[in-house]
Amino acid sequence: MGKDIVIIAEHADGQIRPVTYELVAFAKELQRATGTTPIRVILLADKVKGLAQELADSTELDVTAMQLPEMAYYTGELYTRVLAEHLADLHPSFVCIAQTSQGSDYAPALAVKLGAACISGVREIKKHEGHICFTRVLYNGKIMARLKPTSPTAVLTVQPGIFKADENTGNRSGSVTLVATSARNRQSRSLGIKQAVTDTADIDDANVIVAAGNGIGQKENLEFIQRLAALFTKSAVAGSRIVCDMGWLGYQCQVGVTGTTVSPRLYIACGISGAVQHVMGMQSSEFIVAINKDPFAAIFQVADICIVEDLTTFIPAFIQAYNEKGVQNG
Amino acid sequence: MRILVCVKQVPESELPILIDESGEWIQGDAITEFKMNRLDEYALEEALLIKESIASTRIDVITVGPDRCDEVVRRAMGMGADSGVHIRTVSDGYQSPYGVAAAIANFARGKKYTLILTGAMSEDAMQGQVGPMLAAQLGFAWATSVIFEKIAADKKTIYVEREIESGHRDTLELKLPAVITIQSGINSPRWPSLSNLLRANSQELAEVSISDPAGLQQMEHPAAVGYPRKSRAGLVLTGSRTEKAARLLTVLREKSFL
Repeated sequence: MGKDIVIIAEHADGQIRPVTYELVAFAKELQRATGTTPIRVILLADKVKGLAQELADSTELDVTAMQLPEMAYYTGELYTRVLAEHLADLHPSFVCIAQTSQGSDYAPALAVKLGAACISGVREIKKHEGHICFTRVLYNGKIMARLKPTSPTAVLTVQPGIFKADENTGNRSGSVTLVATSARNRQSRSLGIKQAVTDTADIDDANVIVAAGNGIGQKENLEFIQRLAALFTKSAVAGSRIVCDMGWLGYQCQVGVTGTTVSPRLYIACGISGAVQHVMGMQSSEFIVAINKDPFAAIFQVADICIVEDLTTFIPAFIQAYNEKGVQNG
Repeated sequence: MRILVCVKQVPESELPILIDESGEWIQGDAITEFKMNRLDEYALEEALLIKESIASTRIDVITVGPDRCDEVVRRAMGMGADSGVHIRTVSDGYQSPYGVAAAIANFARGKKYTLILTGAMSEDAMQGQVGPMLAAQLGFAWATSVIFEKIAADKKTIYVEREIESGHRDTLELKLPAVITIQSGINSPRWPSLSNLLRANSQELAEVSISDPAGLQQMEHPAAVGYPRKSRAGLVLTGSRTEKAARLLTVLREKSFL
């Protein structure tokens, strides 16, 4: 029975994705917590050699490079099949995958093939009564749970942006083992990536973003958001996914993982619950104000200023205060 | 063509979630209002749209959970699903997605479903695992976070666009049968109709009880739960609404935002 920690590298367009180095940092922390050795990296690609060498040099870890003729684009089917076959012999303790659109697509299927637990969006490694547990959020960010895998292998998808990639010491280089496989897709055929064509310049360039969430309740209440934004110079109105899904704002205004990542000087979140997917798109804002009538909303965990109020009454009160006190008194 | 839609009942989003005395799970009894998981509404709507365009399509809807989850199945039938299945669990505690997927796979196996649809993730557990796990257990093709789909005229394949980071789309053709998890915004879910709701209330749900008294297979379990820590100052403004407004104005002026 092996005890390895395995990292599945993520790459696109001939480049290793930065999240892969976060997986390395996560795996090293896991290694320290468990005493488990060693860490290996697995890479699946059609042109695998150069990427594998780059990974071995920069992570100083041993890399297994699996060369697949059909791997110009990701498919969940091929990733799952090839990894399941390879890992079945290795019996790793932990398989570390990025919680991205790729990782979250194949990790659960791989877990089934390996008879393994699958824990998604891991943000912390924690020992609980001597057992290794993994912390993730539940209930829209209102609860943190420490989950303990009970299977010999656990597939973990790691939340991007949490574990800081280590600096490369340049001391050594890992080995590269090339494995050629002829595995092909049987049930799926990739047709490539369609680039989004939305113009997000407005929110990209804004100093101040006033963002609306589901808490605005109805489209008409967007007026409060617009009036608040109008008080600031170089401001823009944005929204969470649900507001764009409702058609209240265009998708070019969507902040979050599947929309735009922003980092304005000031972000005012109005009626936004604070789902992980939204927070990842705005957490690097310089200063964050959250207005929400739900005192338990997760957005308050990432805010500098928390205001538990209904935005439809609070924003008018704020605008009134602004008008009464005059601009010059600042 | 037969379609299975997997739906989940989740707490209303603005309810507080409290931790129980053991510190190992939440106070399930304290949650009094539930709804259909929002992304599952999109999945069901997509199935209904397929039914409207492909004659003799039949939609079954399935849920896994305690007694109260009957309600979400009946709502789905109110939206237009033909029949409902409730896999009853005794416990209202943490359910491993592995076990949930296995229970649905056991039901679906051999029933000749062409397509299985579900939401890309649930609002409470937020894992998005049941879809791909179900596909792996049934040996079906799958795609997650689908924002556009079109079934080929010969009904042998389905074209899908998966929404990926920054709104780009990963495009694929899958052989049917397949499991597709649906991203929000793909359509506009309809409201249940009165006539459908009346039919749903008079119709028996197929019930599948878990024979094993231990319940669904658990591959992991919560050792402890807690409230999240603040990652920033998180200064909570107090006082009347007017006082809070004045205080915010002062803070924003001090920081030269205004």
